[in-house]
Amino acid sequence: NEIIAPSWREPLDCVRASEMCNQNSQCSSRYRIMRQCLSGGDKERSTMLASKECQGALEVLQDSPLYDCRCKRGMKKELQCLQNYWSIHMGLTEGEEFYETSPYEPIHFSEEHQPASIISDSSLLKMSSCSEAGKPCNPCLDAAKACNLNETCKRLKSAYTAICSKATPPQLSLPNQEPCSKKRCQKALRQFFERVPWELSYPLLFCSCPDQACAERRRRTIIPSCSYQERHKPSCLELRQICRSDALCRSRLADFHMNCQMTPHTVTSCPHDNYHGCLMSYVGLIGSDVTPNYSDSSPSNITISLWCNCRGTGTHEPECEAFHRDFTHNTCLKNAILSFGYGAEGGTLF
Amino acid sequence: KRARRPRPCSVRELELTVSELGLGYDSDETVLLRYCSGQCTAHRHNYDITMEHMMKAGFKGRRDKVSKGPCCRPTAFEKNFSFLDNKSRYHTIHNVSAKNCGCV
Repeated sequence: NEIIAPSWREPLDCVRASEMCNQNSQCSSRYRIMRQCLSGGDKERSTMLASKECQGALEVLQDSPLYDCRCKRGMKKELQCLQNYWSIHMGLTEGEEFYETSPYEPIHFSEEHQPASIISDSSLLKMSSCSEAGKPCNPCLDAAKACNLNETCKRLKSAYTAICSKATPPQLSLPNQEPCSKKRCQKALRQFFERVPWELSYPLLFCSCPDQACAERRRRTIIPSCSYQERHKPSCLELRQICRSDALCRSRLADFHMNCQMTPHTVTSCPHDNYHGCLMSYVGLIGSDVTPNYSDSSPSNITISLWCNCRGTGTHEPECEAFHRDFTHNTCLKNAILSFGYGAEGGTLF
Repeated sequence: KRARRPRPCSVRELELTVSELGLGYDSDETVLLRYCSGQCTAHRHNYDITMEHMMKAGFKGRRDKVSKGPCCRPTAFEKNFSFLDNKSRYHTIHNVSAKNCGCV
């Protein structure tokens, strides 16, 4: 079989994989069929996928480079890569699976990407966050200062702030209208977290707070009145459905599930004890349809939530609750956030 | 002792809290304020020389005040800047920090 993927260590990226597939006549024709199989809406899709033609195409594609391909976070053509990924993986799982495999490359547990490596020296942390005598300690304010003094961070923070807090022309806005352009706000937030180095953006979001004023600042980092809240609170399953119909959101959600999934096998309850992986995939959700945020301004008792609930979901309630609990009652995520804010030795919940 | 050589007009930086900007906002967020300072003696035009002469000679019957040399002023401002005030409200301010300076 001439279309076997080369056995490289690095998984092939899906843009490259689809190019390779298109160079092979058999692969490219099945790939074209597969794209048609997935082109319809949810209901048509499952009927289509069950057909002999689609099943045959899928079988061939499972031996192609597309099967094992992955995408890099923030790569050029990221969206195209993700679309290529789902064009075969959506057929394999058919959207029914609770947790899906992340299309992103695994986040390696390497020293240089561990926030712990720079903040584990707690004396250094205290120096930087609460050094000025007489002033109350407010790490979130220090994070804002660090961002304001950096050109890129300041520019992109001001950009999303201006967009997210700008009302649609006041004379035109009706009382029950959204206070801003949610889509534009979410896009600006995604750009902020994609382009600003995490050393500057994460402290704004995961700073540790001694009091409520600080926690309120932390909660408002993503300007939740625009990016998070809505007049209508949908069911969490509805929200997941909306997310899954979008390649980017679906990928980020799968990545979150993969990296923040509670596991009984590690001390931190995070997969591979990799806090940074969990925080990174959490941040990846900000600006998507499943944007998470702090649910209140409690300084120490952190609760993360989506803007949804499970009331009236009937027989689907257990599934709905399970989905939302991965945000609201996620020990791995909580530990990761606490550990970022307080330095490596602080705050591990068991 | 020789006088210190005057520094030419250029952008300088200062770290301030938003409250200290004097714009009426109450926020402890720290910002970088860029401002213009320095000498503009090297940028005098014939206009400035003439004006200086006119002032010394005295405008006959006129009391107009005329600036007799170029001033070091912002020629461009940095983009909007946003911050959160102490009551957890966001604000965006314009034209508060210099991007470029010039003798004008």
